[in-house]
Amino acid sequence: MTNINVLIIEDTPEESDHLIQVLKTNGYTVAGVARNFKEALALFYKVEVDIIVIDIFLNGIPEGITFAETISVVPEASKPFVFLTSSRDRKIFERAKLTQPFSFLMKPFNELEVLYALEMAVEKFYKQRDTFLSDDKDTIISKDHLFIKKGKSLKKVLITAIIFIEVEEKYCNIFVEREKFVILISLTKILKLLNNAIFQRTHRNFIVNVNHITEIILADNLILLTNNYKATLSDRYKDIVKKVRTLK
Amino acid sequence: MDTKFKFFLLIFIFSRTFLFSQQQFKFEKGLFFSEVKKKSLSFESNSSFNKISDFFFHKKWDSIIIYSPKELNKSNQNNVVKDYIHFFRAFSFKQKKILGEAKKEFNSIDPKFHFYYAVKMFLGEIALEQSKFQEAIPYFKELVQLPEEYYVHIKKSTILYNLGLCYLHTNQFSKSEPHLIKSVKLYKENRDTLELIGSYGSLASLYYEQYKDSLAITYFEKAYFLSKKIKTIEEKKILNPILLNLNKKKFDLKKDAAKNMAVVEENKKNYQRALIFRKEMEQWIDSLNDQNRIYEVAKKEKEFAVAAKQKEVTLLETENKLKEAQRNSFIYVAGVLLILLLTSIYFYREKVIRNKIIATQKENLDTLNATKDKLFSIVSHDLRSSVNALKNSNTTLLDNLALKNIDALDSLLKKNSTIVNGAYGLLDNLLNWALLQTNGGYFHIESLHLFVIAKHVAYNYKPFILQKEIIFENLISKKDIVFADQESLKIILRNLLDNAIKFSNSNDHIKIYSQNISEEYCDLIIEDTGLGMTESTRLELLKDTTLLHKKEHENVIGTGLGLQLCKSMIKKNNGKFNIESELGKGTKMIVSLPKIFPR
Repeated sequence: MTNINVLIIEDTPEESDHLIQVLKTNGYTVAGVARNFKEALALFYKVEVDIIVIDIFLNGIPEGITFAETISVVPEASKPFVFLTSSRDRKIFERAKLTQPFSFLMKPFNELEVLYALEMAVEKFYKQRDTFLSDDKDTIISKDHLFIKKGKSLKKVLITAIIFIEVEEKYCNIFVEREKFVILISLTKILKLLNNAIFQRTHRNFIVNVNHITEIILADNLILLTNNYKATLSDRYKDIVKKVRTLK
Repeated sequence: MDTKFKFFLLIFIFSRTFLFSQQQFKFEKGLFFSEVKKKSLSFESNSSFNKISDFFFHKKWDSIIIYSPKELNKSNQNNVVKDYIHFFRAFSFKQKKILGEAKKEFNSIDPKFHFYYAVKMFLGEIALEQSKFQEAIPYFKELVQLPEEYYVHIKKSTILYNLGLCYLHTNQFSKSEPHLIKSVKLYKENRDTLELIGSYGSLASLYYEQYKDSLAITYFEKAYFLSKKIKTIEEKKILNPILLNLNKKKFDLKKDAAKNMAVVEENKKNYQRALIFRKEMEQWIDSLNDQNRIYEVAKKEKEFAVAAKQKEVTLLETENKLKEAQRNSFIYVAGVLLILLLTSIYFYREKVIRNKIIATQKENLDTLNATKDKLFSIVSHDLRSSVNALKNSNTTLLDNLALKNIDALDSLLKKNSTIVNGAYGLLDNLLNWALLQTNGGYFHIESLHLFVIAKHVAYNYKPFILQKEIIFENLISKKDIVFADQESLKIILRNLLDNAIKFSNSNDHIKIYSQNISEEYCDLIIEDTGLGMTESTRLELLKDTTLLHKKEHENVIGTGLGLQLCKSMIKKNNGKFNIESELGKGTKMIVSLPKIFPR
């Protein structure tokens, strides 16, 4: 489980400093601070970015919107972003709104508003709304990562790093190499959102990353995984043997 | 023989004119006309026929001649009706002296015609006038033999006379004499002096022709003396043509009688007496000529008079036309003026209405302006005092820092922070107010988590709540979702929370919670146990128009702008606002926001 990388595009150092302080306090990593459109583009393609906070007005011109428009051109490369502005001017907002998905943060902002805006941006971007505010969900699944809400902060887990998932009522225990954590997500949702070529169900309560299987012991109904993790294999799901490439 | 022939001719002319005029005169008495009309109408109600008989009654001969052929050409016309029309036509022709046509028409009448005896008489008269005496005789002969009742409209004496005259002209003297004598007798009985003179003349010429001179002379003398007795009208101007004709006839009679006497005396070789008669005759001729001249002059005068009258009439007509034209132009001018008047009235009214609207608008604007001015004065005053307080506080801060009085710094900074926060809130409200008025702010209604928004807003007030030692609770359910614009909801909450904190003292409670009483609205309630307000203040605050209210707590800074802004924002978000308060016990601010997306 790693921190979320936030790219800040803000021309005023005071503002960006305040934002950086809020983000760092709440367990986010600031990937970089860009002062203008050009810097922003350069940084965006250079560093790993999960969320971008964009000030609409950079040096007096609405370059922030231009940046959002630019990265939205390629949907696969695009990332969730939050507009930051002190202006409530309608025309600017109408233009910004065209860059879907759209979430914004009004200056002056407080800690809660910043965190909420970031969460909303992720929810809207991955089209899984009302996740972080609900009682029975706290995880958003993207193509590469799980975004998990931990306290005030958001954390991410690389999906390929997941060895197996053990379902326990409405919780899921996620096992990665060195740690285990609990997320709130329904089994159906997780099955639907995960790539089912990699994640195979082996039991009513087990989902296994086939890439992490080291040995299948059919006699004991056991699957041995990386890090000596063990998963149960039930008769119903024994077909998995055919799908797993063996070294033999 | 020469004289005799002359005499004969004279008589002939004399009789003929006499005869003709006599006939005409008699029929104009009208009795016969009304009889004919009555008779003709009794069996036919045809309108065009009625018209013709009407013309006959009114002696419009020309009209009869024009209209009758059309009636005759109608194929389905009754024979009796045709007879009447022929009769009318014939009579008209006769009156117009177109004797040939008249004769033809009379001949085409059926013998069964009611007035056929009249037809016969007219035919006889026509023959007489055309000097066809032989032809006339049978007609008159028949008439003489008619029973007495037919002589209502025609005079038997005249017929007898005419018959006698016919015999005389055809030299049947023996047949002529008894008829003429009979007619003389009848004339005498009827005292028809004029006709009597003619009869005497005819009788005289009859005897004269038979060379019974003594008898002839007696009758000539009788005629002469009778003619002497006839009174002629000596008036200079006789304009009535009938009277004039009568007078002329009388002159003619006198002249002829005198001439006859002159011829008689001449034949007796008594030239002196003859001369006297001749002179008398000439006198009558002169009189006749005079009469004619006078008549001509009178006629001319009359014509002149008529012409003058006509001229006058034309003049009057022209005058009338002129007057009419004048009147018309007056009417036009009046019309144009009226239209002008109406148009100007219309425009004047429009102007008045517009002015009224403008006046009302001006009044509204003035009120708004006054309010705005007041607002600005208060805001600027408040801002100034805030900044001034900050300035003073900063001076104290610097003094304390110089004295290294670290303990005082903390409270001073906190105080500064409070001042700045108040000033900031005021400025923020001012900005939002301006945006709301110009409708220039971004406004987008979406579903919002009420709890999260309230939490975010309350987060900013944490330090003040702590400082004032107020117990704050956010009890909104996480499930409550309302439809509103996020920023305006935040502004509403900020102001209401600010007020709640402002009007609360230490250890007071502030609670934010939601209520779902109605289907459509979610009630957000900000409740404090602070100062509260009177009922009048509460009502004043809820009023739509009041921007500024009298402050109950003079020590607490406030302009009323915040609450006004809240009300406007709530209204814009399709929400409702209410206040429940009790002075000294606390206040409940209730904001009702729609739970379903407003259409």
